[in-house]
Amino acid sequence: MIFPIESLVSEQYELGLVVAVAIGFLFGFVLERAGFGRATTLSAQFYGTDMTVFKVMFGAIVTAMIGVVIASGLGLLDFKALSESAVSNTYIVPMLVGGLVLGIGFIISGYCPGTSLVAASSGNLDGMMTFVGVTIGSFIYSAIEPSIASFHDSTDMGQLFFYDLFGVPPAVVAVGVTAMAIGMFFLADKLEPVFSRKFLHRDKSLDRRPRLVAFASFSVTAFVGLGLMFVPLGAQKQGPTTKALSISQYEFAKRLLDKPWSMRIIDLRKRDECAKQRIPGAECVPKDKLGELGLEYAPGARDLVLVAAQDLEVLPKPVEKYKGKVFVLQEGFDGWTRFALQDPPVPGADASEADRSLYGFRSALRQALTGAPPPPPPPSGVKKFVPKKRKKGGGCG
Amino acid sequence: MEEKKFANPYLMGIALGLVLLASFLIMGEGLGASGAANRFALAAADSVAPGYVESNPYMAGKLTEGKSPLDAWLIFEVLGVFLGGAVSAYTAGRMRRRVIKGPRISVRARLIMALSGGILMGMAARLARGCTSGQALSGGALFSVGSWIFMMMIFVGGYAMAYFVRRQWL
Repeated sequence: MIFPIESLVSEQYELGLVVAVAIGFLFGFVLERAGFGRATTLSAQFYGTDMTVFKVMFGAIVTAMIGVVIASGLGLLDFKALSESAVSNTYIVPMLVGGLVLGIGFIISGYCPGTSLVAASSGNLDGMMTFVGVTIGSFIYSAIEPSIASFHDSTDMGQLFFYDLFGVPPAVVAVGVTAMAIGMFFLADKLEPVFSRKFLHRDKSLDRRPRLVAFASFSVTAFVGLGLMFVPLGAQKQGPTTKALSISQYEFAKRLLDKPWSMRIIDLRKRDECAKQRIPGAECVPKDKLGELGLEYAPGARDLVLVAAQDLEVLPKPVEKYKGKVFVLQEGFDGWTRFALQDPPVPGADASEADRSLYGFRSALRQALTGAPPPPPPPSGVKKFVPKKRKKGGGCG
Repeated sequence: MEEKKFANPYLMGIALGLVLLASFLIMGEGLGASGAANRFALAAADSVAPGYVESNPYMAGKLTEGKSPLDAWLIFEVLGVFLGGAVSAYTAGRMRRRVIKGPRISVRARLIMALSGGILMGMAARLARGCTSGQALSGGALFSVGSWIFMMMIFVGGYAMAYFVRRQWL
């Protein structure tokens, strides 16, 4: 797999910034050409006289969606890595409210944040005012966020995708979305003349040729994407994940606190041992019963974490067919007992900052898991380490 | 120079989709806008009152030690958006200082509306983890359920409010 090009966000960061300007340039250029630098074009969407916003937006979504499906079908794109980096978690209520308020702000200002910038760049002062407003609004929200943090983080579903929700491959969802969009486009073209006569008292003509080209290419490419599902091409059919990754106790514990939904923890010890004491959220599945879980059919959205008594030497067979990532917990449950359930060694007065914060983390973890009273603080007055619960924002974040 | 007509929406939809696809493939990220505004706000606050930013966990959480909030992919992308918009407008004869508004509203009232709508959107975008570009468009193309919920609600909010501000536009 070639894409995404990972080095652009690490070693070749500067080159990545050049790419950023180039991609942004094309983004701004296309928006301006579509008429998105004019509040009158944009607001017309909400009076039905000109549905350019709707057409451009859904046309772009359909195009990019099909493109992603085809690129991963050809084995060029690491679809999972892209989804992980470019998609925010789904927060149902914050997104319902945020969408509603953004829509209200949209019709009041006549722009959305991105198009206000395009408007400003072509000399429209109202666009400039809107972008200034967006900046002020961001600041106001950031200032009050700590007092509404529980609402801000409410109804967190983790990363939620339609293909997991419906249990069908992404290519099938893409065909569905394409069909729906084409239907809506026809409807939009029917409605525009009606509302134009009503509100603007003028007729609106329809240019059929480009529409035909667009609909034909959407339909053909959507089915190409679907077809690629049945053609074993290069990396598209991922071989069994024979290579399990190893995860340290610390990394694992942090993830257990921050993103428990992203892992499926399986305790491989004997059932009675596991029943007696296990990691919160772990399933007790002894090694010989693993085959009964049907791991090869699971969607693979969550990472599998295997916990044995000690280090796991040989990866059990049924796990090899799991579609997602597989981790093995270093030193197994014994390691967990030492790391999380027993008193951490108190660092000396000359211990490094990292040791101190690890100590703080382990004492807090132990306290949370066992309910035992907190161990003594480290020798000098260093702030206790509180694991952060912030999640990454969206592409806008 | 005569102003050119705007391009066909369907073809522009495909063009925008291809730009988004390029961003996905090359960078592994979607397009964005409001996040850059947030970074501008953060940078301004951090230079005026760094103590305040430190004391606010939401803001402090977005800062990286020893790195300006403006040293980010999104800031450069937005710089590109500005350039691209300017070049497109200039070459189409649309580059002119003006205020876009409906026939029945004053310039002053229009600018106040633009600012207040912007403030609402800035807040909403933080709450929803992105705006029309970063959340609805980019997340929507990657099948995110939250992005589609957000996008539907933008249309609901817009249509619900349209009647009350019709004097501004019609």
